[in-house]
Amino acid sequence: MTEAVGGGVTHKDVVCPFCGLGCDDISLKVDGLSVEAGEGACGRAAALFRRSAAPAPSARVAGRDASIDEAVSAAADLLAGAASTAYAGFAADVNGVRSLIKLASKTGGSVDHYASAGLFRNLSTSQRKGWIATTLAEVRNRCDLFVVVGPDPSEAFHRLYTRVTPPTGRFVEGRRKVVFLGGEPSAEARQQLVGLDVETIEVREGGLVDALSRLNTLVSGGSTPPVEPDLAPLAEALKSAKYGVLAWNAAALGADGDLVVERAAAVVDMLNVTTRAACLPLAGRDNLIGANQTFLWNIGFPIRTAFRSGQATHDQALNRTGAALESADLMVWTSAFRPERPPGFEGKVVAIAHPDTTFESEPDVFIPVGQPGLDHRGLAFRTDTVVSIPLGKHRDSGLASVADVAKRILERLP
Amino acid sequence: MSAVRITGGKVLDPANGEVGVARDVFIVDGRIASSDLADSATETIDAKGGIVMAGAIDIHSHIAGGKSNIARLLMVEEQRAIREPAGQFCACGGGLSTMTAHATGCRYVEMGYTAVFEPAVVAANARHMHVEMGDIPFLDTGGYLVLGNDDFLLDLIASGAGQQAVNDYVAWMLAATKCMAIKIVNPGGINAFKFNSRWMQLDEANPHYEITPRKILTTLIKAVTELGLAHPIHLHGCNLGVPGNEDTTLETIAATEGMPLHMTHVQFHSYGTEGDRKFSSGAVKIAEAVNKNPNISIDVGQIMFGQTVTASADLMSQHRNRGIATPKRWIGMDIEMDAACGIVPFAYKDKSFVNALQWAIGLELFLLVEDPWRIFLTTDHPNGAPFTTYPHLIRLLMDKPFRDEQFAKLPKSARKHSILGELKREYTLEEIAIVTRAAPAKILGFTDRGHLGAGAVGDVVIYRDDPDREAMFSRADYVLKDGQVVVKDGEIVGLTYGKTHSVAPDYDKSMDVKLDRWFDEAMGFKAKTFKLADHEIREGAGTVVHATARSA
Repeated sequence: MTEAVGGGVTHKDVVCPFCGLGCDDISLKVDGLSVEAGEGACGRAAALFRRSAAPAPSARVAGRDASIDEAVSAAADLLAGAASTAYAGFAADVNGVRSLIKLASKTGGSVDHYASAGLFRNLSTSQRKGWIATTLAEVRNRCDLFVVVGPDPSEAFHRLYTRVTPPTGRFVEGRRKVVFLGGEPSAEARQQLVGLDVETIEVREGGLVDALSRLNTLVSGGSTPPVEPDLAPLAEALKSAKYGVLAWNAAALGADGDLVVERAAAVVDMLNVTTRAACLPLAGRDNLIGANQTFLWNIGFPIRTAFRSGQATHDQALNRTGAALESADLMVWTSAFRPERPPGFEGKVVAIAHPDTTFESEPDVFIPVGQPGLDHRGLAFRTDTVVSIPLGKHRDSGLASVADVAKRILERLP
Repeated sequence: MSAVRITGGKVLDPANGEVGVARDVFIVDGRIASSDLADSATETIDAKGGIVMAGAIDIHSHIAGGKSNIARLLMVEEQRAIREPAGQFCACGGGLSTMTAHATGCRYVEMGYTAVFEPAVVAANARHMHVEMGDIPFLDTGGYLVLGNDDFLLDLIASGAGQQAVNDYVAWMLAATKCMAIKIVNPGGINAFKFNSRWMQLDEANPHYEITPRKILTTLIKAVTELGLAHPIHLHGCNLGVPGNEDTTLETIAATEGMPLHMTHVQFHSYGTEGDRKFSSGAVKIAEAVNKNPNISIDVGQIMFGQTVTASADLMSQHRNRGIATPKRWIGMDIEMDAACGIVPFAYKDKSFVNALQWAIGLELFLLVEDPWRIFLTTDHPNGAPFTTYPHLIRLLMDKPFRDEQFAKLPKSARKHSILGELKREYTLEEIAIVTRAAPAKILGFTDRGHLGAGAVGDVVIYRDDPDREAMFSRADYVLKDGQVVVKDGEIVGLTYGKTHSVAPDYDKSMDVKLDRWFDEAMGFKAKTFKLADHEIREGAGTVVHATARSA
């Protein structure tokens, strides 16, 4: 829906691509190139949607303004000459990811998304043992007891509680309850939680794994030593809940995050013997989930996969961006959703990136690209991995998409 | 104008009554033409000694979507072990039971398949399904939308909104998800599991909506009939895999009261409880019922021995099966007030009594169901076995000595419970052409596929007439897709992409208002975000929309 107002137009019901919740009630006021988010947008989305009227910067080669053609050629030359390429950032819509996969499989190199740490914490359990998970609308309608494991996920998923735990749910009898285990709600989260029973259970720092192990023992019918906090009431509440959900933001968990996820999934597994329960393992900024899904159906592996001589191999440790950069001589940095700053790197850098990106040192090639969901259409996945969201075009910036740029580089390769 | 002339082969085209007719086949601009139209033939293919058939059609194979990706994730060992060979058309994918999109298209087309339909599109996952299907080369595709556990529908039925409202809703959902048929998975059972029910019988009431699977099934059968969909309800029934489920299957056939119904992977629904292990073949009874009821069609869901992964929307069943996961890992998901999924890796073992009998039950069904137009060759890929086992399955059906040899390898305990050894039937080549081409096109309502008459799509396969039917159907000599040679001597020689098929029957627009409200309130996002647009399908190509004839 679009309305003309004053000097610009207001686009309503815009789909937001950033955090992975996929809110679709944002209004954007667009006047020429300038963009201001209005109603619906959380603070972070508003900041990320905001654009000035200034035209996007030109592409650059070695710090000098260049045409896209020149920049594409320079990027292709660097790729052709590189001994080892690390594709990093990797934040693009599904079409962008598809094109980058084709490029990487041709040039060789490792691939990782800049925000993948949480995803791999989740995969460490889901891939090795599995779990029972759920999606946003199931939580919204069924969940009578929502347990937040660790730090408040709404720091990253801003409107989480508005979306998944409104005061009433279709199948929820009585008041919905939200328990923070080892974390506490931010002031803003508390606003979203008005009308719900909210409880906070303090857990000593580093004690989350132990707390979840005890919780698992308790829901399994065992007994635990009398240490603080007393988790017996929570165990009882989960067992008598109709649809308990354990949610976490894996990226925000500490060094023992893998174990936290594993223990939380074990609690859910045990609960499902007698009642219903599910995990809501949150991860997903900047289409991380979509990048991983696109990788799985095209390559068969999650991201953190490397291409060598026409074959793909998957190794989470070796192909993590930090590790890959140690042996790479070229980094191809892609970040279309936000001006994410690439990691420092000694070798050559090709940046296919948001126009406002700042760099520690000038990249060898910089090609500004449009934002999916603002400058061009696209597809991104929600954090729950099931639902994908169509992103619209809301202004004419002339900025190319990642898909176009990657395709043109591929065509220019020798 | 592009034209191809295939000369010297024997045409096997049961839909047009041609059985081994020596004639040339002409393709003009991607479609079969009659000879006199094709004077301008520019490319001649010598099919001497070969058998010419239409491209094969798989009506039930899980080739895409969220559940396939979960399967790839869980089966990482298989992905590491089986990689697509590097080459001109390699896309660096891999897998067997968890094949990637590009590999799926390649392995299917090498066998002569040119259209494959995804039988379980969960509405919430439809967008993903379509974008993934768009990355599968060579094949025409389409999806069957999973309904029958979605809260909106159950509420409509339970609240007595009436058949018309249900029809409008079904039509709305088909348009929104760009699917071509309706699938029901464990009617009401997936939903009941969300309310903590562990079993659901045909006449058992849903704990929340208080309606039975029978009610859901018959209501949706009426809906697709009245909306004029070509494909009947595609049903994965209650009690999958449960000993004794033959009774449920028979009751389900009776429940249709003569209305069309396609029952899928019936092998998994043909189990009795006889014998000392309380597990026996129900194939005789089920086949008898199928033979007697011309409104019923089935696909088999044959199992083959080896490692695979089972992927289903039926989380109620898969949660029961979690203990037999091999390797020991599995994933379940409740999905969006809509359905669910459960992915359980599994290895069928020929030394296992149950698995051996499952293998025999599938073959018994194939051999006992008399009408080849109402039975379809499937392994429920990947649930019974990867689709790459089809040539082996064809040989089992066509070659009794070979079948007996395989049967003899099974444990005596299993053989004792099967009549397979007594079944003398051998499928003819014509019957294979029916179950893999002519009948699938018919049951899906395609008038321009599955045959080689003028006007049909130019999907043509040439097989060499090898007495080893497994070898014959493993790799085609030639495959043409829309008139273009894509396989030669069993090797991929060109890359093309197919089309996506859908239906879009009309609905009363008051349904828009109801679903806008439902999405705003229950789903937490907007109906207009949920609906797919044409520009999202195959980079803007849109779907091929098939006509439906809505009855009053």
